[in-house]
Amino acid sequence: MNGKTWGALALAAGLLVSGAVRAQEHVTIGFTGPLSGGAALYGKNTLTGLQDAADEINAAGGLAVGGAKYLLDVVALDDKYSPSEAAVNAKRLRAQYKAPVVFVPHAGGVLALQAFNEQDGFLIGAYTSTPAVTEHGNGLTLRIPPSFDGYVQPFSRVEMKRFGKKLGMAGGDHDYAKAWAALIGPAWTGADGQIVSDNPMSYNKDTDFYSGVSRVLAGNPNVLFVGGASEPTALVIKQARELGFEGGFIVMDQAKFDEMAKVLGGFEPLEGAVGVMPLANDPRPGGEGYIAAFRKKHGQDPGSEAGLNYSALYGVAAAMVAAGSVTDAKAIRAKLDEAFAKLPIEHDPARIIGVEAKGGAKITFVLAMIDHGKLVAIDPDKAGE
Amino acid sequence: MVMFFQQILNGLTLGSVYSLVALGLTLIYGILHIPNFSHGALYMVGAYFAYFFAGSLGVPYWGAMAGAAVVVALLAVASERLVFRPLRGAPVLHDMIAAIGLLLFLEAVVQAIWGADFHRLQSPHTQIVHLFGLVAPAQRLLIVAAAFALMLGLHLFLQRTVMGSTIIAMAQDREGAALVGIDASRVSMVTFAISGALAAVAAVLFAPISLVYPAMGDLVILKAFVIIILGGMGSLPGAILGGMVIGFAESFGAFYISTNYKDIIAFALFVLIMSVRPSGLFPGGVR
Repeated sequence: MNGKTWGALALAAGLLVSGAVRAQEHVTIGFTGPLSGGAALYGKNTLTGLQDAADEINAAGGLAVGGAKYLLDVVALDDKYSPSEAAVNAKRLRAQYKAPVVFVPHAGGVLALQAFNEQDGFLIGAYTSTPAVTEHGNGLTLRIPPSFDGYVQPFSRVEMKRFGKKLGMAGGDHDYAKAWAALIGPAWTGADGQIVSDNPMSYNKDTDFYSGVSRVLAGNPNVLFVGGASEPTALVIKQARELGFEGGFIVMDQAKFDEMAKVLGGFEPLEGAVGVMPLANDPRPGGEGYIAAFRKKHGQDPGSEAGLNYSALYGVAAAMVAAGSVTDAKAIRAKLDEAFAKLPIEHDPARIIGVEAKGGAKITFVLAMIDHGKLVAIDPDKAGE
Repeated sequence: MVMFFQQILNGLTLGSVYSLVALGLTLIYGILHIPNFSHGALYMVGAYFAYFFAGSLGVPYWGAMAGAAVVVALLAVASERLVFRPLRGAPVLHDMIAAIGLLLFLEAVVQAIWGADFHRLQSPHTQIVHLFGLVAPAQRLLIVAAAFALMLGLHLFLQRTVMGSTIIAMAQDREGAALVGIDASRVSMVTFAISGALAAVAAVLFAPISLVYPAMGDLVILKAFVIIILGGMGSLPGAILGGMVIGFAESFGAFYISTNYKDIIAFALFVLIMSVRPSGLFPGGVR
């Protein structure tokens, strides 16, 4: 046989294979997030969670909706963290791919999409704990991470009790950190604490935190509020320790203890810090299967970004089944609460137990503290008592 | 008072790194009149190669720095040969577009190989020196010392060697230099090599107190451009002084006013200096 014949045979075989696949329907899960530039890692982590869930659902035969089997195609577009590009991407995902849901991992992008998502008829999977995205009544938004109001009181109580009443504010100057600072400040002063210095820093853009941290430390605080992405937050903590700070840290939920420990070479510099429990260290049973599968597939521990998005896509998929539609975003949204409540724990490592009327996910979380060089869980309700 | 000296030390650290990056940039501008936007990518690639040599091959820190400097110097020469030389004679805009393309290309390649993750380059010098009540991490002192040693070395090379003289001659008058028999393409290659090596060394010096990631060069290159405009395009003392001005402005601004305003302070100072001396602190290029 000559080359041409082989080519024709290969083509025929290809047609046969694709013909077999075509018997199944497809539904696009849209994603727009930062996949290049400084926030690329964050964007990729969130996308990994979605992709893993979609792969598993497809490997199990897809979704049975209305008598047909649907495979999930995750289509990811890069928006470089820019709200305007997120909006363009979402329009494209809707028009070209007919995506019924678009996941966005940043508040700016979510707000941009909310301008037209109800009109265009798609659900937003909003991965941001900024409370504002679910406050103005957008009917087709699912806010995936828990709102951070719940962290603020227990964090303040624990640190004040262990270290003292003087707080130095050294958080980031991005919107999310500002929203955090606006809650942590009143919580601290409301509990008879005192804010001795306030100097937000640009965690995303600064090359060096030396001056910024020394300015905060000049007020002799007992506790520092810090937070941005894990790696720069670790550098801020390292800087504070190098400049002789011996107190504790309130760590915003954006930074994760396990990721910071990688930069710092262990938990010792984090002694006395309070923050959220990393997913891989969650003491509650049920998540082991997910963590083991993730380690096997990616060679590292899953972060909460991957875990929450993984749970979220499983929940949205279950809601599609319950709604009997992969296209009607309103019907899918209406079934979200029920779908998450029924989601088996192995598909829900992030413990999303339902969805509030406004669209925020209901999540039970665990607080963590670094105590004598070890990560220990503390009960949010009893913290600091 | 201690805090004041702490900020001086910090200004010196930042200024040294900025100066090294700006020196490479201004050398290329002075000689070839190319605004080399890809210089920030060379800085980033330098940090990654050092991370590769030190982390994956187990080469000691200083060896990794030397290795990274060589690799990036070769890369810079290759970019001159393959990208900028074919564009000689084309409008400057083409060089600029090519340089930006190169920047994006290198960032994408690095992200494809090493991923978007943050990496740490560990330095063996983690001691913290206490001097008259000053807290000085050894790496920061090292940055200042190494940067000044390099600047001195560059100065001696340009002033005392034939090769250095040919670079200066080219910068002063390209045609004149060619007329007296200076090999223009060789000078271009040497200049790119020096500029690449300087960027790599600056990155490897700074990386242990910072993070290694694909976009790490973006901000540095922006500042380096401000610095060479401030110092006078093509001027070596201008690049050093400009780097120090920006470094100190950031350091003191962040401490005495607010971290929020430190870039505003640095850039306001820039506008002020430009309005008094529109062609920079040291106009007239390489001398």
